[in-house]
Amino acid sequence: MEHRPPEIDLNEVVVKYRPVVSFKVKKSLGAQTPDWEDVVNEVITQVIEKVKKGEFRGESSIGTFIYTITSRRIVDHIRMKTKVLRSIPEPAPLPDPCDDAERRERARILAEAIQQLKPKFKEVLNLYYYQELTRNEVADRLGISPRRVSERLNYAQKLLRKMVKT
Amino acid sequence: MKKCLYTDQIDDYILNKLEGGAKEQFEEHYFNCPSCFRQMEERDALISTIKNRGAWLFKDEAASEQRDWVPAWKRALSSFTPRQWATVGVAAAALLLVVFGVLPQFRGSSPQFVLSETEVVRGESLTLISPIIDVKSVPTFFEWKSLGQEVEYKISLYNSELLWSAVTRDSRIAVPEETRQRMLPGQRFAWQVRAFSARGTLIAVSSKVQFQVGPAE
Repeated sequence: MEHRPPEIDLNEVVVKYRPVVSFKVKKSLGAQTPDWEDVVNEVITQVIEKVKKGEFRGESSIGTFIYTITSRRIVDHIRMKTKVLRSIPEPAPLPDPCDDAERRERARILAEAIQQLKPKFKEVLNLYYYQELTRNEVADRLGISPRRVSERLNYAQKLLRKMVKT
Repeated sequence: MKKCLYTDQIDDYILNKLEGGAKEQFEEHYFNCPSCFRQMEERDALISTIKNRGAWLFKDEAASEQRDWVPAWKRALSSFTPRQWATVGVAAAALLLVVFGVLPQFRGSSPQFVLSETEVVRGESLTLISPIIDVKSVPTFFEWKSLGQEVEYKISLYNSELLWSAVTRDSRIAVPEETRQRMLPGQRFAWQVRAFSARGTLIAVSSKVQFQVGPAE
């Protein structure tokens, strides 16, 4: 029996997966890398081409298919960049000023919200996320149980979510 | 609502604590799980805000930790015998003599840094904080002393050649995972930071600090 590729709405795929691909690329290359957006665009273009050519046969999920393409493209980009850097000086980064301004504003609002938290929540955020202690180490330092550390972290995030929305 | 089994790995992934297979498994998962991805985006914003502004956000906590050290210091001093006090007094007098008597004779002009054969900067010094000595594992962050607002820093990491370079306005920067993977144990690295004013003028440059990542096991 002939195996037919699954029906894919490419517009929906692009809208849904562009942020996911962007996150993975930024995480792998660093958000300061000037050409991360080019890599994202190349991944999306490859996905569209491969789906149109029928290379996605539905043997895995579309998410896994896109993840594989993204990982390979990142490795290729790093290899190419390493070769280029041997001979040519690196170009100056050109960040998008609008994107940068929005990100800074969001970070400022979030930082103000963190400032307003009660000391018991601030100290777990400090020890766990800033100083990167383990849950058990945080628990030892504060004289509470690791379970209580998790509860405080979760509750602090719940409060922040509420404060940032209002 | 049923909690996804991968939710507990979000923090470890963002803080680069997931290794090899576990990391790839988690990445493949968030490409397939919109709920985990949404939570991860939110957590990433929180963690990067904390990492970038932690020194300011937690200055009260740092101060209270310092206050806790004072009684220990006082306790140590109170246990000194008169003879030890006399030794401390002589040492302090010698130190004062060196600081106010000898050092001013050697005071030169403002610091001067030579970047290359053609570049020379006079002005502020830029102090690197971490890593400045050999480290056991590949560092997650590079940190240096801030020169204030509106300053842009360019960090460069070298082994035998330029390995990674990035620009930031914060005094701390996370090393991308791909760069960390290229920092193999046993190798020596050097890093340097250059500071630029809002107008793009080079205003300070750090010394080039070398460190080694602990040998492979």
